[in-house]
Amino acid sequence: MRVPLAWLRDYVDLPQSPDETVARLATLGFPVDDVETRPALTNVVVGRIATLEPHPNADRLQLCTLDVGAGATLLIATAATNVAAGQTVPVARIGAQLAGGLTIAPRKMRGIDSQGMLISAEEVALPGAWFEDGIMQLEPTITVGTDFIAHFRLTEPVLEVDVTPNRPDALSIVGLARELAASFGVPLREPSSQVQYDGDTEDARVTIETLDCKRFVFQRVSGVRIRPAPAWMRVRLALAGQRPLNNVVDISNFAMLELGQPLHFFDWDHVAGKHLIVRDAKDGERFTTLDGQERTLDERAIVTADEAGPTSLAGIMGGQRSEVGDATAEVLIEAATWTGPRIRRASIALKLRTEASTRFEKSLPLALADIGAARAAHLLEQEGGSVAMPHATGKPASAPGWVGLTPGVVRGLLGFDVPDDETERVLVSLGFAVDRTGPELRVQPPYWRNDVLIPADVVEEIARMVGYDRVRAEVPAVQPQAIDSAEFDRETELATICAGLGYTEAISLSLQPGGVAERWRASGIEIPTPPEILNPLSEDQRWMRFSLAPALLEFAARDRAARPYRVFELGHVFAAAEHDACQAAPEPRETVELTALHAGGESAFGRLKSDVLALLRRVTGREAHVERGTYPSLHPGKTAALRAGETLVGYVGVVDPRLAKAYDVADTTALATLFVAALPRYRMPPYVEPSKFPPVDRDLAVVVPLEALAGDLVDAVRSEPLVRRATPFDQYRGPQVGAGKKSLALRIVLQSYTATLTDEEADAAMARIVATLRERFGAEPRAAGGPS
Amino acid sequence: MPPERGSNTRKKLQNARSSRIGRSHLHMTTTGMTELEATLAALSARFDEAVANASDARALDDARVAFLGRSGEVTAVRRAIGALPPAERPTAGKLINAAVETLEARLAQALARVEDAALARSLEDTIDVTFPGPPASLGALHPVRRVAIDVARYFTRHGFAVVLGPEIETDANNFDALNIPPDHPAREGLDSFYLRPDLVLRTHTSPMQVRAMRTHPAPIAIIVPGKAYRRDANDARHLFMFHQVEGLMVGPGIHFGHLKGMLVGMCRELFGASTDVRFRPSFFPFTEPSAEIDVKCPACAGLGVTAVLRQAQDDNVQCRTCGGSGWFELGGSGMVHPSVLRGVGYDPAVVTGWAFGCGLERVAMKQHDMNDIRAFIENAPGFAEGLA
Ligand SMILES: [Zn+2]
Repeated sequence: MRVPLAWLRDYVDLPQSPDETVARLATLGFPVDDVETRPALTNVVVGRIATLEPHPNADRLQLCTLDVGAGATLLIATAATNVAAGQTVPVARIGAQLAGGLTIAPRKMRGIDSQGMLISAEEVALPGAWFEDGIMQLEPTITVGTDFIAHFRLTEPVLEVDVTPNRPDALSIVGLARELAASFGVPLREPSSQVQYDGDTEDARVTIETLDCKRFVFQRVSGVRIRPAPAWMRVRLALAGQRPLNNVVDISNFAMLELGQPLHFFDWDHVAGKHLIVRDAKDGERFTTLDGQERTLDERAIVTADEAGPTSLAGIMGGQRSEVGDATAEVLIEAATWTGPRIRRASIALKLRTEASTRFEKSLPLALADIGAARAAHLLEQEGGSVAMPHATGKPASAPGWVGLTPGVVRGLLGFDVPDDETERVLVSLGFAVDRTGPELRVQPPYWRNDVLIPADVVEEIARMVGYDRVRAEVPAVQPQAIDSAEFDRETELATICAGLGYTEAISLSLQPGGVAERWRASGIEIPTPPEILNPLSEDQRWMRFSLAPALLEFAARDRAARPYRVFELGHVFAAAEHDACQAAPEPRETVELTALHAGGESAFGRLKSDVLALLRRVTGREAHVERGTYPSLHPGKTAALRAGETLVGYVGVVDPRLAKAYDVADTTALATLFVAALPRYRMPPYVEPSKFPPVDRDLAVVVPLEALAGDLVDAVRSEPLVRRATPFDQYRGPQVGAGKKSLALRIVLQSYTATLTDEEADAAMARIVATLRERFGAEPRAAGGPS
Repeated sequence: MPPERGSNTRKKLQNARSSRIGRSHLHMTTTGMTELEATLAALSARFDEAVANASDARALDDARVAFLGRSGEVTAVRRAIGALPPAERPTAGKLINAAVETLEARLAQALARVEDAALARSLEDTIDVTFPGPPASLGALHPVRRVAIDVARYFTRHGFAVVLGPEIETDANNFDALNIPPDHPAREGLDSFYLRPDLVLRTHTSPMQVRAMRTHPAPIAIIVPGKAYRRDANDARHLFMFHQVEGLMVGPGIHFGHLKGMLVGMCRELFGASTDVRFRPSFFPFTEPSAEIDVKCPACAGLGVTAVLRQAQDDNVQCRTCGGSGWFELGGSGMVHPSVLRGVGYDPAVVTGWAFGCGLERVAMKQHDMNDIRAFIENAPGFAEGLA
């Protein structure tokens, strides 16, 4: 909310320095997001035009003599056309500093020394378009000679104050002044609501037909001449960011900003039948708001209708038909109270948020309606209106309930005691009633604090006023608890090891455009239907990600200069709910995956596979088993399924060439995906005591059918008891081994736990191995020998 | 290479010596002896010349092989003893052995000389230590995860558990159970993505408070790092997907002071030991009293201008990290609202508790003095490595 410090000072004496007010507002819970400073302005006084005559040497100039107080007069030449003798106007004297760095120097205007300048709103840094063309017009009630800048406090900054939604009372200048007055310990000067009633609002009838209109105060004011509002009001409105229009409209805005109660003024002559009906809008009902927009309503909105149909959109905006205009003779003040959520729902449905709706949606107190109407009536009377007695319908305002503070509740929440005397003092300063006669301290919030309902609310008020700095920091002793961190620890370990293995962690958006899934499907990849966002802000956010791979492929393509490229992401992936007869509302599926990508360098697949196996070994405590598999995103013939024990924990493979093409990455790019929830808990590996006897290394090359898997050969080799390790180290396909065959070379380490192996024993073991491989795989040895 | 070669030579010398042990004394005729002595003297002279000319161990080894090797000159002389009368043979052998000993000593001296010279040269040698080696194979955690781990380390040290939860959340857990009924103005700024009328992408990590308390009796002390989503457009300060860490501690006698104690400690861990933390009244439907957490800007020590700029006495240039205010907002916190406690089956008359939430990107941005949050999802090459 824009809060001109100039306006705040009308109600409370604040420290000279704006910084102190800004800091105090923050400690009260109203942080100031921005301080809009105003330019330095000096040497402007209020003057009265005594005489006005044409300039002898220029058709477009006039010469004024100005009474500027204390018997002084100034002779000023002006080109303005809206000047007349007798007007009260701001006058910049020689040496005056004005907006935009303008300084008034003595100057000759067509041969005559001009002793200053008559100024417009723009020259004192007010929006020129919001004020009269030409010279600013002031009320004759302002004493001639008054320092114009000081009088209107035109150099005071405007604060952008952040008001939390529980405090609609502070969405007003008086509301914030009240907080500051309580905090600084100074009195609040409440604005006047004095009026001399002239008659009753007896001819008006208001019928409430909706439960969401809590209270409706109405009051007739006649005889107001429509004209610009007084300068002091226009200046305050303009500083608050509200464009002045005419005195009546300005008064409704002024009273709202001042007190927080939005008001609506009807042109009473344009209310058919002098009868207002407050009711739910009808579906499809059409209505033109005063911004000239025709709107189609539905039952979420509330309208104030007369006998000719809707004439105001309750709590949000008035209607064009009964809008106050230049010809308005009689106005009906409406000050109502609405159910907050209802106004919020209607305002969101209509996509129409106004100063009124942002206040009403926070559920204003009933009493504020009467106070707002009275203030507006007073201001209209000041404008020459004759004010009738107000009427009201709906619930009467009632005082908020008492809240009991059991002893110890303050200490229990804040960790320290506030003495009862101090509690009473701070609460009374905020307008609370305090009763200390019973066993517990009881407090009654003031009418404007309908957010204070329970003891904790009162404790916050006390804490706010004594200052949160009084809370002593204390490190708590945490009791043993059943809840554990296993999931987080697992994710941390996975990510940390991946980073250690040379992969960089990415975080990509989990909402995607539809094009991602389309691209995969167009490539012939089968994927689950991703969950759809019903209300995305843009098409880029419509679908939840079904896999982490698309983003990593995009990064790999984008960063093609970075090779070798190793990246991983650990995050949630989603699939739409599958229709299931057993489940009334099937849930979308959400799982945690880790996907890693390796592009470039030698043998991306081999490296990625080794890295993933090392990762699995480290986090599960066991060697994963590798077998053939297929997985969407991976090449059907170049994919390994990974098992920890019996559990399938993921896949590693070469990217599906169709995706490689679609993303424009090398077809050697490798991808791995681990299903994090499937990973078995870490199992402490048993200690295998090393043999005391020397190992014997033997290399074995065999020719096997092309489809034989090295992993299966290794498993077979390991069935020989003397084998400690068997590691394939070379493979060959080509003319030397014949079509449909390949050669595999294995390094085999033989070792006994009981004796040093003799050559004969080692040879016998190798012979057994060869026999096994021949039997199981049709393997034929190519050459054998020790390490070269 | 030369030192190895040298040590090789040394070994061979030792072998040669041991093979001579046990030779006997013999007599010898004068004429034969004179001739032999002359031969040996000539040989010795040639040997000395070869050794003197040798500048490295390899050349010395060549000399050793040429003179003392199995088919070297000395062996040839030894063979010639056979032509001497038997009586002279022992003396001749003695002479030859003496000569060999001398040659070997000289060779050893020469070897020591070239080795010393080689060492001296080696010590003179330099490499360009600034020339880059092959790239290291070390990746990096994303800075957001790094912050989450740092926060978790602090809280687990104090006995807290770290729990994770789903990103698809029920509307009831995300809002209603947190005291935010439908059409409440507090839903402003928590604009959510809906998957179904009753399912949202969680707008904060706070629904995990509800899940954890429903499944675990008090006392409870947890933190919850994770993703949250708000229906916003991405810009320099907002991402529609971002990360938060939630904290919750509920039990008998837990008060605001404990919240302050834990958060001051957390901020000192994240921003430095001298970090100050300030609490300001605020409003969240699920806490009462509520507080905004402000951290004294670590970049400018709360002065609003950086040290370098202060030296230049240019007070008009603001600190970028805090925007010149000297403090920045870290997140929200407060005492858990009794309605929330009641809703999960806790008795607010018996237990009280606090909760807080703050953005992990925000922490990382303040730590690294970054001003555009979008960098966290761009994953530009070198980004994570640079901040690791
Ligand atoms: Zn700073």
